[in-house]
Amino acid sequence: MSFKDILNSGKFVVTAEVGPPKGTDIKEMIHHIELLKGKVDALNVTDNQSAVMRICSMAVCRICLDHGVEPILQMTCRDRNRIGLQSDLLGASVLNIKNVLCMTGDHVLAGDHKQAKPVYDLESVQLLGVVNSLNNGKDMSGNDLRGATDFFQGAVVTPEANPLEPQLIKFEKKVKAGAKFFQSQAIYDINRFKEFMKYARRFPVKMLAGIVVLKSAGMANFINNNVPGIRVPQELIDELKAAGKEKALDTGLNIAARHIKQLKDENICDGVHIMAIGMEDKVPIIMERAGLL
Amino acid sequence: MIITKKRELQELMENLKNYKSFFLIGCSECASLCGTGNQEAIDSLTESLKAEGKEVTGGFVPKTGCQVLGTKVELKPFKEALDKSDCILVMSCGAGTQAAVEIFEDKPVYPTNDSLFLGNMTRFQMFDERCSLCGKCILDKTGGICPVTACPKGILNGPCGGCKDGKCEVSPDIKCAWVRIYERMKRLDKLQELCDTVLEAKDWSQNIKPRTLATRPEKKEEKKK
Ligand code: SF4
Ligand code: SF4
Repeated sequence: MSFKDILNSGKFVVTAEVGPPKGTDIKEMIHHIELLKGKVDALNVTDNQSAVMRICSMAVCRICLDHGVEPILQMTCRDRNRIGLQSDLLGASVLNIKNVLCMTGDHVLAGDHKQAKPVYDLESVQLLGVVNSLNNGKDMSGNDLRGATDFFQGAVVTPEANPLEPQLIKFEKKVKAGAKFFQSQAIYDINRFKEFMKYARRFPVKMLAGIVVLKSAGMANFINNNVPGIRVPQELIDELKAAGKEKALDTGLNIAARHIKQLKDENICDGVHIMAIGMEDKVPIIMERAGLL
Repeated sequence: MIITKKRELQELMENLKNYKSFFLIGCSECASLCGTGNQEAIDSLTESLKAEGKEVTGGFVPKTGCQVLGTKVELKPFKEALDKSDCILVMSCGAGTQAAVEIFEDKPVYPTNDSLFLGNMTRFQMFDERCSLCGKCILDKTGGICPVTACPKGILNGPCGGCKDGKCEVSPDIKCAWVRIYERMKRLDKLQELCDTVLEAKDWSQNIKPRTLATRPEKKEEKKK
């Protein structure tokens, strides 16, 4: 069953993430793909994440397919204009890549080529519209395509954004532009996320909650001080502190598993997106502890 | 106005090492407000050049340095000093420099400034970029605040995920353009309008360089032909 069908079937889905490496040595990446195969429902492939140049997302999506894992092509608007984006979407389509996650993309100043010219000919809302249009057999200029695409398109949302209201206005524009599913930025406060879901449930879209494992109290504090749109509640920081250095990571895995279980048991959202950030081998452990394997 | 910034003397001298005598042209408009092309700037550069062992045959601040014909006429009385110089230095923007290039076909012309952006003066000699002359203005849709310019990504439909506590992902010193637009639309009681407007991708064909414009009626006709 495709990711779209699984999601629409009502099963609680799990997606994870694979970050293409910088360079042509893909042994470790393939190991991670193999590790997650058969466990997660789909794998996001990041697009030059944090504006750091790496193997392109499309090639790695195809590698995922070759290894029997369904990929979600992350596509940012930072590095390609509307011609490049549409052309890559057609290319992805003929490579049998079915899911695309439309994002604006971190600014080049965040990455390792700070002197690059950022493109941003389009942004996330407009890119969603383009995917919709390609699905309907037309390009952005209204020209007919010989063969339409059949993408299942999604987008991202930040439920803990501050201020929140402008972010919600954008979320609604993404829904209007044709987003079918959303993967959220990492969330740690389930009660607040429930509130967000009360609002998001008014729209005909599937919502996957973002899960990022906390490795230590230090990491949690760092996130609170530096990462936009994520808020770790003090109780969790205390819990990690109480666990001590040795057990911090294990506690972090337990917190992630506990959150996933609650999201599923209480039917709060439609699935989770686990961003392991270098700890791909821990994803199956989290899933096991959450009772998903 | 056009915001300009003085080049470091060292960089300037690298260009000028093969010349001995100079005529300096400023501008009484933007470059004067920026302090890069007024009489004081000319005097100060004259001092620096002399200290480097160069000769300055004269200097002048024309009314509008980018206006080719006007500047040409204003420079007529300086013919002798201009003839004595073997290089012209222009202390305004890139447009002013190229006006001089058009006027002095046979003389080398060098800029002393870098031209940065179209700016608003917020305080004395403090400037902000608020419009990037995109060719098709959307201020009517965004509460009068330009996201093409104020958002480093030029996003047209709301804040990105990098907005932190109302500040921009790119620099904590700037407020997120989309938070500003949101707040203004809220104050004007126009949030519904903001929600309902999905802005389409910009038409960059309005921005193909070099752009020209003639608003004189007879010239308009000529252009059409
Ligand atoms: S949209 Fe912005 S850049 Fe374009 S003309 Fe208006 S203010 Fe200038
Ligand atoms: S934080 Fe706001 S101003 Fe900065 S890039 Fe994102 S949307 Fe644009």
